[in-house]
Amino acid sequence: MIITEQKELEEIVRSLRGRRRVFLIGCGVCAATWGTGGEKEAAGMEARLKEAGIDCAGWIVTEEATCDARTTRRVIRRNREAIASSDALLVLSCGAGVQTVAALADLPVYPALNTLFLARIQNLSVSDERCRLCGACILAETAAICPVTLCPKGLANGPCGGYEDGMCEVDRERDCAWVAIYERMEALGQRGQFTVIREPKDWREDLHPGFVNKRAQKASV
Amino acid sequence: MSRLADAIACGEFVVTAELGPPKGTNVAHLLEMSELLRDHVHAVNVTDQQSSVMMVGSLTVCHLLLNRGIEPVFQVTCRDRNRIALQSDLLSAAVLGITNVLCLTGDYVTLGDHPQAKPVFDLDSVTLLKTVAVLQEGRDLSGKALTGVPSYFPGAVVSPAASPLGPQIAKMEKKVAAGAKFFQTQAVYDPAQFEAFVRQVEYLGVPILVGIILLKSAGMARFMNSNVAGVTVPDGLIDEIGSVPRPERAARAVAIGARLMREMNAMCQGVHIMTLGWERHVPRLLAEAGLAPSPSRSTNGE
Ligand code: SF4
Ligand code: SF4
Repeated sequence: MIITEQKELEEIVRSLRGRRRVFLIGCGVCAATWGTGGEKEAAGMEARLKEAGIDCAGWIVTEEATCDARTTRRVIRRNREAIASSDALLVLSCGAGVQTVAALADLPVYPALNTLFLARIQNLSVSDERCRLCGACILAETAAICPVTLCPKGLANGPCGGYEDGMCEVDRERDCAWVAIYERMEALGQRGQFTVIREPKDWREDLHPGFVNKRAQKASV
Repeated sequence: MSRLADAIACGEFVVTAELGPPKGTNVAHLLEMSELLRDHVHAVNVTDQQSSVMMVGSLTVCHLLLNRGIEPVFQVTCRDRNRIALQSDLLSAAVLGITNVLCLTGDYVTLGDHPQAKPVFDLDSVTLLKTVAVLQEGRDLSGKALTGVPSYFPGAVVSPAASPLGPQIAKMEKKVAAGAKFFQTQAVYDPAQFEAFVRQVEYLGVPILVGIILLKSAGMARFMNSNVAGVTVPDGLIDEIGSVPRPERAARAVAIGARLMREMNAMCQGVHIMTLGWERHVPRLLAEAGLAPSPSRSTNGE
């Protein structure tokens, strides 16, 4: 799931300065689950904006993910009157959702959240980043623990010299990813995998912006 | 040519030391310190932005040392350069006649004095060692032929007191497979533990230079215990250095260092002394450790 956090109200108010009226759009998937952009949060944001003196035309939460242009297009169409009476949209979703809305609406669109990372949600207050979307998954060779994400150096060939009692040199409160990988390999009887020397990553696999067109891919096969 | 490689090949007990370049352009003090080491060591490591603190480059200082007849060990980390810059610097080193290269991952940027910097780590210590090997075959990492083929004596580092030790040894094994010809260790203060480590890695058949840092004070020992990964100074040694009055500390530090060396010399192929400003004590340390002056260590012996 994509983990987000709400921006400080001051920052949102600052970016909305000069706007007459704003309509709010929340995301019904990641931001709703994580409690940053669901119904409760959209209503709360509206109330806080009003308190700060910003006129609101209402809010809606996309039942699907805001980043799904197919469904967000319909949500925008259904709310066109409220949107037409506004001169700005404030989106409570990840950056992809904000830009999906911006591509569908011809008025200024602003983010209400900071987008943090792709994570496992352990419970409603704890989530930890698990994947950096690197474009060439190596989990098969690392005991299903991702060093690209969990080792701050992104090392691919074992630990650096900085771990201490199994904790990472960058943050002594966190496990060293490579000690964890080593121990899981041992536990699973896969210790031999550790000895494989991984070639330097081909960064073309991690080229941004990412773009996929499955139909064009099929056509070229 | 590498005097260090020759000495190791001959089975001689090898001595290396370490110097950190200055922050700023004044290298006078550094060169003065190097003079204190000149006749006592086979080679002098030059650190690469040690602890992620920005300083003059290792390559430049290696060049200065070599010009003065002191054999350098070029330390190279993966923190600040991508594979293009690393290969380029390795070729530059070879052009300057620098052959000893110590390949390290490098500390993370937030440990140093520019914590805002973008960390690189395009390669790691293992793939850096492999890069050295590839260059020696006359190619670069993209397979292109080199005009003029470099020759290196590549080394790596290991922490004998890492906890847990398993992943450390597994990584060491990969470094050997990637071409590491010698290892310098993190500072060791527990000979029994070092002996156990040496037994465990004996099968790798690679020369190990045990790391020595003179204990300047009890405070320094405690600082290392809580801040330097893989270094554990036993309480007994902390008490010992803490019990002597300040004017006698250097002598006691040397005595402790020499004692450790005498206990560990037979377990390994050499010693790597990280002087941290105490270069002047190296001759006495070596003498007390029972290492007679060796013509191969002296520049006059060439
Ligand atoms: S290797 Fe890690 S970052 Fe890359 S795709 Fe797999 S989980 Fe994600
Ligand atoms: S201690 Fe482990 S997780 Fe941390 S940077 Fe080193 S290898 Fe990566």
